[in-house]
Amino acid sequence: MKTLIVMSSKDNVGNAIEDIVGGDEVSYTVDGEQHMIAAQDEIPFGFKAAVHDIPAGGDIIKYKEVIGRAAVDIKAGECVHIHNVEGKRGRGDISGGQA
Amino acid sequence: MKFLGYVRPDGSTGIRNHTLIMANGRGAATLAAMVSKLVNGTQLFIQPNENGRDGDDRKTIARTMIGLAKNANVGAVLIVGNKPDAGYPEFSYDNFVGEIAKCGKPMDTVFMKDCGGFQEALGLAVRKARGLVQQASETPRTEVGLGQLNMAVKCGYSDATSGMSGNPVVGHLFDTLVDDGGRCMFAETTEVIGAEHIVAKRFPDHAERTKFLQAVERVEEEARSTGEDIRTINPIPANIQAGLTTLEEKSLGAIVKSGTRPIQGCVKYGEVPEGRGLYYMDSWMSSTALFLGFAAAGSVLTIFQVGGGWFPDDAMMPTTNTGLITPTLYMTGNPRTWEKAWREMDFNSGTVITEKEPIADAGERLVKEVQAFASGRLTMGETLDIRDNIEVYLRGPGL
Repeated sequence: MKTLIVMSSKDNVGNAIEDIVGGDEVSYTVDGEQHMIAAQDEIPFGFKAAVHDIPAGGDIIKYKEVIGRAAVDIKAGECVHIHNVEGKRGRGDISGGQA
Repeated sequence: MKFLGYVRPDGSTGIRNHTLIMANGRGAATLAAMVSKLVNGTQLFIQPNENGRDGDDRKTIARTMIGLAKNANVGAVLIVGNKPDAGYPEFSYDNFVGEIAKCGKPMDTVFMKDCGGFQEALGLAVRKARGLVQQASETPRTEVGLGQLNMAVKCGYSDATSGMSGNPVVGHLFDTLVDDGGRCMFAETTEVIGAEHIVAKRFPDHAERTKFLQAVERVEEEARSTGEDIRTINPIPANIQAGLTTLEEKSLGAIVKSGTRPIQGCVKYGEVPEGRGLYYMDSWMSSTALFLGFAAAGSVLTIFQVGGGWFPDDAMMPTTNTGLITPTLYMTGNPRTWEKAWREMDFNSGTVITEKEPIADAGERLVKEVQAFASGRLTMGETLDIRDNIEVYLRGPGL
């Protein structure tokens, strides 16, 4: 069984601390309680997986804080990275500067 | 907790004993370089050109150089130049040489105007530098409290381990040092964007908190003014290839390196804080500039806490020399980075992931290693003669 580290109970993503491939059973522990999800994608060491479904436009939460927003619908177990997440800050490419 | 350090006339404590050679005014930098090449035990700083720079940037150059000279890792200073006054007011004899002299350490000057030109100046400067090196060598190491240390930290090549098993360990060290009367510093204004609300709460002083928040707003405005998505600039490609997705994620993992104690003030690049405790420096994140700024602000040992997920096998550590007079302690919280690059690094807390070592235990191990490096053990970076490019963080236009 593979493991994700989820930093807080408010987070909807966790980090792989080993290389995970699609179909792997993955466990993570929040507030002392163990949860299981099935990996949908390859999630290499240090990359993130969603631990809940996140709708397009929804906040990505890590360290109890917003780290970006979902660019598309993301399902639990999917890899969460630049292909499906937008940063909100320092957006010189968007008028108003925030996504 | 004690270590063996060099106590300077102004009461500050160093962990190295360099003789620093610099030119007052960029025009005499070659003379400084020639002297340094001929005399063992010296460190050379070649400054960016002050000519055609606005007052703010000239002040930054002067502040950086004066700070390096006053840093407790410097046992003696030789200043060379064309003339005692180098031109702009920041480099007048009184403002530059006079300011350095206030710290009371052995110091001398050689000006080409006063001794008949370049070649005469070279001979005299070599003779004086050799005398200063010998004089500095007579300073013994003595036992002092750990709280005499001034340290700083930069995180880099960040990945998911930075916020999980690397930076929190530095945070433990900083809490320990601050509680013992030490001074610690962190920086990198781009990399607090998205986490500034958490950092701001830790400034007890309203004016200092405002300075900090204004610095973050200024840098985010600079980022927006590029017309680019910051993600194409920072997180840098190495961060993204290792799994960091946004600047906000990088920032939230980065601020943990500051520990948990109150932040006493927000200082400029290369500015020496007035008190003890934890400080924030408003600086660019680049390892070619930040380690120099930390040294100018008084750090005698700076930590480079790297994720390093992007590193190739048997990687060489970049910018090990850019603190010039202040060594860089390289550490990682990524067990795979340690496996790839342990020959080049000084400390591993990847054990937090592989062995579930508590952060506090890894932090205590780091405190002990800091005591050893402060007492004289060379860092791996110091065992190589690296001459990587060193920059001063300048912001204005060339005019």
